[in-house]
Amino acid sequence: MREIVACFKWVIDEAYIRRGPGGDLDLSAVNYKISDYDRNAIEEAVRLKEKCGGSITAVTVGVPEATRGIKDALSRGADRAVFIADALFAGLEPSQTASVLSEAIRAGTQFDLILCGEGSSDLYAQQVGPRLAEKLGIPCICYVQKLDVEGDLLTAERRVEEGVEVVEAKLPALVTVLPDINTPRIPGVKDTLTASKKPVVTVTAAELKSIAEARLKTTGITAFRMERSCERFGTDDKEITRFVGALRKKGVI
Amino acid sequence: MAGIWVYADNPSLTLELLTAASSIAEGLKTGVAVILSHDRDRAQDYIDCGADEVFLLPPLSGDRSAGDYAPVIADAAREKKPDAILVAGTSGGKEIAARVAARLDTGLCGNCISMSVEGDSLVMDRFLYGGAAVQKVAFMAKPALATIPPRAYEPSRPTPGRQGEVEELPAPPISGIKVAGSRGREKRTEDISEAQVVVCAGRGFEKKEDLAMAREIADLLGGSVGCTRPVSEELHWLPEELCIGLSGIEVKPALYLGIGVSGQIQHVTGIRDAKIVSAVNKDENAPIFAVADMGIVGDLYEVLPKLISALKKAKG
Repeated sequence: MREIVACFKWVIDEAYIRRGPGGDLDLSAVNYKISDYDRNAIEEAVRLKEKCGGSITAVTVGVPEATRGIKDALSRGADRAVFIADALFAGLEPSQTASVLSEAIRAGTQFDLILCGEGSSDLYAQQVGPRLAEKLGIPCICYVQKLDVEGDLLTAERRVEEGVEVVEAKLPALVTVLPDINTPRIPGVKDTLTASKKPVVTVTAAELKSIAEARLKTTGITAFRMERSCERFGTDDKEITRFVGALRKKGVI
Repeated sequence: MAGIWVYADNPSLTLELLTAASSIAEGLKTGVAVILSHDRDRAQDYIDCGADEVFLLPPLSGDRSAGDYAPVIADAAREKKPDAILVAGTSGGKEIAARVAARLDTGLCGNCISMSVEGDSLVMDRFLYGGAAVQKVAFMAKPALATIPPRAYEPSRPTPGRQGEVEELPAPPISGIKVAGSRGREKRTEDISEAQVVVCAGRGFEKKEDLAMAREIADLLGGSVGCTRPVSEELHWLPEELCIGLSGIEVKPALYLGIGVSGQIQHVTGIRDAKIVSAVNKDENAPIFAVADMGIVGDLYEVLPKLISALKKAKG
């Protein structure tokens, strides 16, 4: 294996999202993270590099603040990073993200294998991987739970409705990974220190030919609300009996 | 000419998509077409169930993958210009939808949870942030593509005497992907998506053997056992097929009982259609209580034995 590209997205950590008093979305106290399944993509790149050699480029498209994600990706084991950064890249929809990635990768990043998470924690549109493969004209294997590379042949186990399918493809190819493909390691202090010495290439919107128009327009975002009665019960025998009585009254037992 | 196309990898999902397509076809003043790969000799059945046209995909040899159909579907859409293509949201469906959308340079609403026609345009809803928010989207290009989660619509039923056209699509070019083998899902688990009672085991359980208590309660209630993502993915106590959540199985039982479940948003989104949500958790601030109809705040190791005996008593 020669060149592995791991794509990742720097996203809002949904655990910090609150619902405002009017049912609006309160993002005032949010933190950010590398999208969960993209961590599996980076980890899989590191795992393959340990087995077959080669080097890893982490690539992301985002706003300039996503630079923290670059450092995180490098401390997780990428050798270098390509940061396609511009304030214009806030809120890109998947077709735009895929075309920006493909243009930037074509312009200056070598690849034999591209790894993506199966979907992002924020949009979970599950599109950027397969769209990017189409743009680059390479085979695409999605929802992979086990991956192996021998020479220029990759073998992947991908999850399908009926079970598992084992597929083969010649490199270069793109693979999207499921969370159970591996357990991402947690970077240590030494990893973080080394990360700051690794090379980062920044690409701005002005250096790309043009940014494609959005094909999907977001016309509204509202907090999702479940109306539930929130009745509380205690743990003594009387309360447990009341709980079972309530289930019976509701007709579920 | 049929303006709404549907594509699914199997017959039951095709029938569900026909229901979805019919719900918007009238508003868009157009017909419905089925792109059929799996049971080609049953084209008339789909016409009976609402299709005005059926496009037959040629069968593939065993070492080829259904993903190979992406260029054929995209070419047909380029030629016939449908308004929308609805694809069943299985793993294969989601991949093919994204690839067709990329080829047609158009928008795709992944995991659509509802759709309607406003004026003469399609509007769809989908979840954001693991289900914490709902995103409304409009399409800026045609065709509008969407993936529809399985079981979101009832299967369409036949209306006798319907007529429709059948057309063959060309064979797909050879792709770089070869299917070398496959194995079926091990039949070690039941399908919890249709269970009337779901008892869900969360991280609150201290060891695998203790899940027997969840199983006992499920048996008493005539239900099935599911779990949260950490229980299947990190602890491997239960198989992946029992993992409930936005990226796992979505359940819609009459009763959901979460035991030791904290209530992370991705999980909660997967139980949103439960009629009654109940929970046992020792942390009174656990998010699950905010989305539960009935909550017992207490240590599951204290509560479950009592609950088991109360349920036995209630059953006589």
